[in-house]
Amino acid sequence: MLPAGIFYVVFFAIPMLCLLVLSFWRAKGFELIPDFTLDNYHKIFTSPLYRALMLRTIGVAFTTALIVVPVAFAISYVMRFVFERRGQLILQIILLSLFSGYLVRIYAWRTILGKQGLLNSTLQWLGIIEQPLEFLIYSNIAVVITLSGLLLPLAVLPLYSAMLNVSRDYIEAARDLGAGKLHTLRTVLVPMVIPGLRTAFAFAFLLSAGDFVTPALVGGSQSMLIGNIVADQFRGIGSNWPLGAGMAFVVVAVMLLAYLTVMRLIRWITRW
Amino acid sequence: MVALRKILPASFLAVVLAYLYAPIAVIVIFSFTTSPRLSIPIEGLTLAWYANAFANPLITTALRNSLILAVISAVLSGAMGAAFAFWLVTLKRARLRATLLTASLMPAIVPLLVIGIALAVFFRGVGMQQGLLNAAIGHVLVSLPFVVLTMNARLETFDFSVLEAARDLGATPSRAFRDITFPLIRPSVIGAAMLAAALSLDEFVVTWFNVGNQQTVPVLVWGLMRRGIDPSINAIATVLLSVLVCLVVASNIINRKKVK
Repeated sequence: MLPAGIFYVVFFAIPMLCLLVLSFWRAKGFELIPDFTLDNYHKIFTSPLYRALMLRTIGVAFTTALIVVPVAFAISYVMRFVFERRGQLILQIILLSLFSGYLVRIYAWRTILGKQGLLNSTLQWLGIIEQPLEFLIYSNIAVVITLSGLLLPLAVLPLYSAMLNVSRDYIEAARDLGAGKLHTLRTVLVPMVIPGLRTAFAFAFLLSAGDFVTPALVGGSQSMLIGNIVADQFRGIGSNWPLGAGMAFVVVAVMLLAYLTVMRLIRWITRW
Repeated sequence: MVALRKILPASFLAVVLAYLYAPIAVIVIFSFTTSPRLSIPIEGLTLAWYANAFANPLITTALRNSLILAVISAVLSGAMGAAFAFWLVTLKRARLRATLLTASLMPAIVPLLVIGIALAVFFRGVGMQQGLLNAAIGHVLVSLPFVVLTMNARLETFDFSVLEAARDLGATPSRAFRDITFPLIRPSVIGAAMLAAALSLDEFVVTWFNVGNQQTVPVLVWGLMRRGIDPSINAIATVLLSVLVCLVVASNIINRKKVK
């Protein structure tokens, strides 16, 4: 256990601490100057640009989660209760897509959704549209479509394993006692897989907020997310490491807060 | 009747799988077509993009670097992750075990962007120039959780009484490990190491912040992508895809052999 333990401390815990410490420093050109200043945080909280980006990031992440979680729920239901014996095989096929080229899949969506891309050229060739649909690419829609595809397999994993623990007997008992399909879903199945739903939502919501590659490749200048700005602070022209470090912590904190609020709201509304 | 009842769920499943695999299919198909634009109808087939891709002088360096990183990740994450998972299952206290398992999965939950920049800050702080070594450390870090997770799942069915038997018969701990434990868990370790190699070959975000001016295949592909539509990207991507799929499928098959 020792080597891995040391590795985690030296290359994970300590770097995180370094990032936190750096967020209180100052940058002067390429120099990093040790300091204890709240200037970076002040700048992040007062800049209208950062606030707009943060709100857009929450919006895009929330929309993505709203698409991914119900689809993952339905897929897991089908795997668990309809094609029961093939469940594991279907899971493997879904998970395989997760390991088949992260950059490649994002790039592929650009070539599918692009102005002269596969979708538009097919629709034009079939005579369904005259002019290419321009909203498909370099837009928030493109970002949501791409992120949903990337994160769906991750959301299926916790939901399917939660459903494996739900015995078919419970569902049948509820049906035998006269509960309708929707009523059974709402009062029996969903409450039993709540932890899986929570994990699936967390994956979809938190990971889409941290992704900067998708907006950079399929989003336009109007659909940059907060992650792009953070990345620019570390590898762009006029980069500012301390400011970027502060932003990273603000993003993580805001997203966690948004996640907990949503969870609390859902619990309050549904009383699960 | 039964078949009819399953038509709706089956078509839903088909739509979702199409959504997941359409991008991959598009890349593979259009790596072989003559038109530089991805458009319908397809005009003709060619291998020119592959020739084009491999004529790029950077590709050889990128491939070599990616392979070095993959081997390092496989060996180091495989060995460290397996040892850690093995130590974890021998812990008596269930609470401590659960906490440590969750802690070891943290690098998979924190956004890669944050891990990438945190490592960059750390390396700058200790005065390590950006380069392949920094990227290698990042790759080991992001693949460790997956190795621990798969090893942990396999080791839960491990029969520790065979170890006790060996010890009772006078085997030293190291001898028992070499002759009993390792041969039994070897398939899982190899499976997990292959998964680590696949993760490393595909890793972009952490690499990008730490590799400096060096090239890896994803870093090269990123550079080409930012410049616009270039069909040789499809060719490189198809090669990368085939390697990844082979690694993951093989890892799965090896891993499925039960730990006896």
